[in-house]
Amino acid sequence: MTATQSLLFALLTPLASAALIAFFLRRRGALASYVSVAAAAAIFVFTVLAIRGMGEGVVASWDWLTFGNFNVSMGFLFDGTSATMLTMVAFVGFLIHVFSLGYMADDKARARFFGGLSIFMFSMLGIILADNLIMIFIFWELVGFSSYMLIGHYLDTEEAAAAAKKAFIVNRIGDLGFLVGIVYAYWHFGTTNLSEMQGIVAANSELISATIAALLACGFIGKSAQFPLHVWLPDAMAGPTPVSALIHAATMVAAGVYFLIRITFLFPESILCGIAILGTSVAVYAGFCAYGQYDIKKILAYSTLSQLGYMAAAFGLGYPGIALFHLITHAFFKALLFLGAGSIIHGCHHEQDIFKMGGIFKKMPVTSITFLLGVLALCGVYGFSGYFSKDAILIAAGLQGNVLFTLLTIGALLTAGYMGRLVWIVFFGKPKSEAAEHAHESGVAMLLPLIILAVLSVAGGYLSLWPEQLGQIIRDSKDDLHHLAGYDAMHFRVAILGSFAAIFGLLCSLLFYGWGASEDRLEKKAGPVYGFLKARLWFDEIYGYYVAKIQQRLANLLSVLDIFLIKGVLVRGSAGVVGIFSMASKSLHVGNIHGYVYWFLIGMIFFWVVAAGLF
Amino acid sequence: MTIGLNAFLLVSGLLFAIGLLGVILRRNTLVIYMSLELMLNAVNIALVAFSRYNGTMDGNIFVFFIITVAAAEVAVGLAIIVALFRRRQSVMVDQLNALSR
Repeated sequence: MTATQSLLFALLTPLASAALIAFFLRRRGALASYVSVAAAAAIFVFTVLAIRGMGEGVVASWDWLTFGNFNVSMGFLFDGTSATMLTMVAFVGFLIHVFSLGYMADDKARARFFGGLSIFMFSMLGIILADNLIMIFIFWELVGFSSYMLIGHYLDTEEAAAAAKKAFIVNRIGDLGFLVGIVYAYWHFGTTNLSEMQGIVAANSELISATIAALLACGFIGKSAQFPLHVWLPDAMAGPTPVSALIHAATMVAAGVYFLIRITFLFPESILCGIAILGTSVAVYAGFCAYGQYDIKKILAYSTLSQLGYMAAAFGLGYPGIALFHLITHAFFKALLFLGAGSIIHGCHHEQDIFKMGGIFKKMPVTSITFLLGVLALCGVYGFSGYFSKDAILIAAGLQGNVLFTLLTIGALLTAGYMGRLVWIVFFGKPKSEAAEHAHESGVAMLLPLIILAVLSVAGGYLSLWPEQLGQIIRDSKDDLHHLAGYDAMHFRVAILGSFAAIFGLLCSLLFYGWGASEDRLEKKAGPVYGFLKARLWFDEIYGYYVAKIQQRLANLLSVLDIFLIKGVLVRGSAGVVGIFSMASKSLHVGNIHGYVYWFLIGMIFFWVVAAGLF
Repeated sequence: MTIGLNAFLLVSGLLFAIGLLGVILRRNTLVIYMSLELMLNAVNIALVAFSRYNGTMDGNIFVFFIITVAAAEVAVGLAIIVALFRRRQSVMVDQLNALSR
């Protein structure tokens, strides 16, 4: 089997699985879940086969639609970057599928859930492999759809339905920019193929357009939940926890960053700088927001936002490889944290409030240990995977300037703080609710993925352990960084500061919140501060005000115009004119033969007048 | 003594006018029908006169056709009037106004 065939199989297997489940297995949840997990395993196998056979990379393309001389093609651009991403998605995706077997075992709509996972894997693989912007956009919308479907899995709850809609609509705003960017790029370059555009830009760097880059970055802002479109991600936690792990932590939200890495050659300095500032501000902002939350999944969601900010910052600083590195390590430990949270939620009978947990460590030792390893990796403790990637980002920021460096270091401190708050409250002390009292360790299907992800979270940062074909772009970016002046001093400084931030954050949160606290001390002692953090800078309120007061009024105005002008004047008016004519002509219809004779005569005279040329 | 064309045309025109007024003013379907026939024959007279005056056969041939068609029309039309009377017990046009209702 050639690498192209392997890729094709990897792409189409989940689609086939989704179709099979949608058409035949709707009511057979158990069978559907096995089909979906088998498909996920097959993706991983085909991915490995493809990487073995890829050589220098795979480029393949098929014409899909032709309009005149405009041609939409579907194709693969399988290079080191996409191979790295594909391996991560296939592997983490498979583990999350396995975890879902346990987590969703009692769910009534299991078939819909696993069908959704399969269609998501299909769409995600499409984004990873796509060789042109239009194909990326198509699969981009497909992941949006699967995200919508999976967030709204518990569709009988108001919250999930609203969150699904919110995620979909907010993403549309970003995608509008993306779509315009694609059209502009086609107009500007005459192609949307990634390699061709790279060639054009490489030949003449004056063709790089800030407008195109900014428009395409809009898609990233929506999908990766950056300012100002970040509001959907915390709400998306209304979906089942494996979905939060797969889509809203490890893969889909990271697809925005991956997309930027794929088109990094299109970005001029100014837009990169903007993305760096954007990412840094999100990293700090989300760090603060996490302190105002008491839902375990929402805390992790803000943590994801913050880490996505780090990736954006790394990309904006000009090191796409390091952004990809953080993306991969983040996928490992964040998937681990979400699955761990899922295991805890499952064990505590769907209790998500951290102040109602407590004492989980004794009840669920395996989950707790793996979760703690994930926390250490997220905080960037020396030796864990998160350390290597976050370290590289901080070094890059430090060599660039002081402002971003300081902010990102504060972000690291905040990360350690809120994760510490979560850990001390959830795992230690006494159980604070009936549910936590009866918490029980999860089954093998859920623990196995946790253990594997824990190993990866610890060891995933050692690039020398990675297979030869993967991560070349990461090594390149790291080499670039190494050769900059002042690297060693900065590396030393970052190692000290980073470790200090991690330890200080964890310790401070222990001292402040206490061992297994049953209420938020910040809320009690400094209500206004807590209220401010909880308000999250009032983004939702501002958007709510905008939608309800401004957009709704505009819509009402337009609706009046619609009812009065279009419906009243144009539609009813034209009907009225016809009606008046019909009333006039109806009155001619007398039913008496003499009447018709007169009309006949008048008609004859009229014809005679016309024929004689008198008229 | 020969009678000029104008005399024929005058007779024809008078007959046509009488027929037309009959169609317009009379209320009995049968009389209207007779008036229609009168108009046809007025035309016949005019055609024959023209034919004679011009020394061609065109008008005569037309007249033969008109007589034939009129005969067929009379057969059908009278049958319709008989059928109408059987059904409605009336042939007055002001009572036959079902279309306006």
